[in-house]
Amino acid sequence: MAQRVVKPKTNLGPGFWPVTALIAVVSAVMVYLVETSPLPIGLIQAGAPADSIDALFRFLGAIAAVILNIVVIYTIYFGIVFARPKGAPANTIGVQIHDAPVLEFWWTAIPTILVVILSIYSVKIWADLQNSKGDVLTVEAIGYQFGFQFRYPKVKGVLNEMHLPLNTPTTIHVTSRDVIHGFWIPELRMKADMVPGLINTIRVTPTVPGTYHIICSEFCGVAHSVMRTDVVIESQQDFAKWFSRQGGGTGSGGGGSGAGIAIDQGKADVGQKLFGQKCSACHSVGPFDQKQVGPGLGKIFNDPAHLKLVDGDAPTPQNVAKIIHDGFQGDIGVMPSAQVNQLSNPDIANLVAYLASLSKK
Amino acid sequence: MATVAPGVPTGPYHAVLDHIHPEPTSFIRKYIFSIDAKVIGMQYFITGAIFFVIAGLLAEIIRTQLLSPHGAILSAATYNSVYSMHGSAMVWFVVIPLLTGAFGNFVMPMQIGARDVAFPWLNLVAFWLFPVAGVILFSSFLVGAPDAGWTEYPPISLQGPLGTNLWCIAVFLIGISSTMTGINFMVTIYKMRAPGMTFTRMPLFVWGQFATTPLLFIATTALGAALAALFIERVFGVPFYDPKRGGSPVLWQHMFWFYSHPAVYIMIIPGFGIISEVLPTFARKPIFGYKMIAFSSVAISLLSFSVWAHHMFTSGMVPWLQLPFMIITMVIAIPTGVKIFSWMATLWGGSINWKTPALYATGFLITFTYGGLTGFFLAAVPADYHEHGTYFVVAHFHYVLYGGSIMSMFAGIYYWWPKMTGRMYNEKLGQLQFWLTFIGFNATFTPMHWLGLLGMPRRVATYDPQFQFWNQFASISSYVMALGTVLFFYILFDSLRNGKKAGPNPWGARTLEWMVSSPPPYYNFKKIPAVLAAPYDFGNPLPYLGLDAAPGATEATPTSASHPVPTY
Repeated sequence: MAQRVVKPKTNLGPGFWPVTALIAVVSAVMVYLVETSPLPIGLIQAGAPADSIDALFRFLGAIAAVILNIVVIYTIYFGIVFARPKGAPANTIGVQIHDAPVLEFWWTAIPTILVVILSIYSVKIWADLQNSKGDVLTVEAIGYQFGFQFRYPKVKGVLNEMHLPLNTPTTIHVTSRDVIHGFWIPELRMKADMVPGLINTIRVTPTVPGTYHIICSEFCGVAHSVMRTDVVIESQQDFAKWFSRQGGGTGSGGGGSGAGIAIDQGKADVGQKLFGQKCSACHSVGPFDQKQVGPGLGKIFNDPAHLKLVDGDAPTPQNVAKIIHDGFQGDIGVMPSAQVNQLSNPDIANLVAYLASLSKK
Repeated sequence: MATVAPGVPTGPYHAVLDHIHPEPTSFIRKYIFSIDAKVIGMQYFITGAIFFVIAGLLAEIIRTQLLSPHGAILSAATYNSVYSMHGSAMVWFVVIPLLTGAFGNFVMPMQIGARDVAFPWLNLVAFWLFPVAGVILFSSFLVGAPDAGWTEYPPISLQGPLGTNLWCIAVFLIGISSTMTGINFMVTIYKMRAPGMTFTRMPLFVWGQFATTPLLFIATTALGAALAALFIERVFGVPFYDPKRGGSPVLWQHMFWFYSHPAVYIMIIPGFGIISEVLPTFARKPIFGYKMIAFSSVAISLLSFSVWAHHMFTSGMVPWLQLPFMIITMVIAIPTGVKIFSWMATLWGGSINWKTPALYATGFLITFTYGGLTGFFLAAVPADYHEHGTYFVVAHFHYVLYGGSIMSMFAGIYYWWPKMTGRMYNEKLGQLQFWLTFIGFNATFTPMHWLGLLGMPRRVATYDPQFQFWNQFASISSYVMALGTVLFFYILFDSLRNGKKAGPNPWGARTLEWMVSSPPPYYNFKKIPAVLAAPYDFGNPLPYLGLDAAPGATEATPTSASHPVPTY
């Protein structure tokens, strides 16, 4: 069947340049709104890194707005002006062009440049977050089904509430006791998954006092929807008061803890079973350097390369029991306390007996 | 026909084929256990449509639950199963089988001028795994359906109900089916194109299927291994993933996403192919930048293997490793952008015939671009720290999966419906259905962006009352989408009963499937044509030789596959 070729249009189309100008104006307005809105995400910034993450969000928003305008407005415009007129024959054809190399070069090159710029900017903010100081206060958050617990340095045991002092670079180590949970404070724009057997670290510096939510952001079971708690961000004076009420700042590491443990009654075989359940996710039974999350414990009582325990004490059974009881936190990492690990005093005695039996081999 | 055995009639090739493999006459061999790719394609369509309706009802249950911040209808436990099954069914039992098995089997062999796929029996087995796996999946509702989301992260999935085991089996089986289809299509496209159909003369839908095949049979193996390990851990207690016993929960995430990120592209690259067929046909002009569209599909397919960990920026990995995953993810935007601009340029200067498939293809352009742009927000690692695990993610992937994959499928079904059934659909109702779907979809999923940014995590059965308004807005909009879907099925049934006869080529399209009758005959082509050019030159005569040859003529036999002799 021979097709009757109807002469196609060859100009850019009626109104092409006014529409292009419209795209430019709409884009400029949208970029202005994105860049000047005080809260691009609509949620207050309660401290670092919310400011830098929002800045990245603004930048992404501006680029996305321009691209979306170009695609949507041109597409609708082409759809209207190049619609087949009513009554035109069915074999009317469009402009028979196959490509336009110059145009294609630019619409490949410009997105490539944008990707490069975005990557550099994202990497810069990422690097700022990685290098940000957080060590003035170190807090440990532990997720469980279904809630959060917190450990503070020099505070015995775990707390069920989290307080953070203003303008204090804070490192939060997060982990979990059972399944994967999420630790998310939307007002700080910060989140890390709480993975059992793994410690993830985030750094924040709160600047706006208030009570905010810590929300579980990874599905964790039937009560996931209601797994949340409060974080209170308060002045350093208020924080100090709260901290001392929790027993913090009164002494060194809750000295004498673990004193009531009857070490000599520990059974190595029971301890071995417990070790498999409670410790082996993080500790091997090899030498110190055979690290998983924490150091290997196989030679803890007679290791010529490590004459002292990680807390600097001598490797006596009582001191090992103390670390298991209190937990530990230092350069090498963080270990939850016996309360978090759900270990009783006899459990600790059994574990110490097992570790002692390893060191004798 | 010198090689024919004695006693076999010689003559046109199809007559010989008819003798060796006559068209089956029994109902079972013709419609149930058929080895005809077109029938298998239709079986995929029907089975996939049934699962689409079930999974869509689950989606409406989800939205109804979220009408109230306290959960309107279900307990949290039931709700968790409902959304887990919605996601699992939509990904593995609707979008992947429809875009590969259904569209691929029905359209691809005809488009390359072949009579069937390379391995018809493998095709039969691949199809029948699909309904069997689907029944296994949905029967998990009887014993406690999986409740940890479609991603089933351990350790929570180790605590999941018994149905999680069935989930493992069902997804494993559908994975085998995918692998079979991938190998089958790759061989078919590589070996069985009509003479003269060089790679740069293939229709772009075929390019889309071709770029998808390595994803189907390479990535799926990682999922199979992960699923087998999860099943063994749940049933026999071998600790692969449980950290308390020396396993690693993050291992699952790596293996799962090593499959599931490429799977995202399994669910969109064939859709790109559909759009690339629909737009030139209705704009009546050549596809703009044929080679760029074809090669960008291959580029996306290859890049998609090295971005999986962008789903895991908050999961815990060596921090510097986040950067290559972020940058490669952003690089995928470049070939994707090239496609979108090329499709816009295809509309430019056209003589656009605004039928329903064209509306859907254009709607796809807008919604998919939107979904792609929010992907950038998630790829940028620091921004992802805030957005990960929130409704922002839900909004993003529904924009690419519904606004991308499902919109392209709607375009494809309206486009090829006359070819499948020989009947036209009701155009007015089709356009109404588009507007219901397009408006309902955008109104449902746009508010989820800010719900997520403001602090609503995903996978929750109840939520903070401050989010009630936009949740109700989304739920009511989703009923508009549901209405559109009901109308869609009404249009199809109405067309079967009352539709006008379509004739072989109602759209004036130029690819090979439109050169045969509607519905197509058994063996597709009486004579395999020779192909002289890519199919999109609307100003030129059709680039095929041998279709209209006189009865008794032999098939076109060019001297070489890449350089056919005839010119015109």
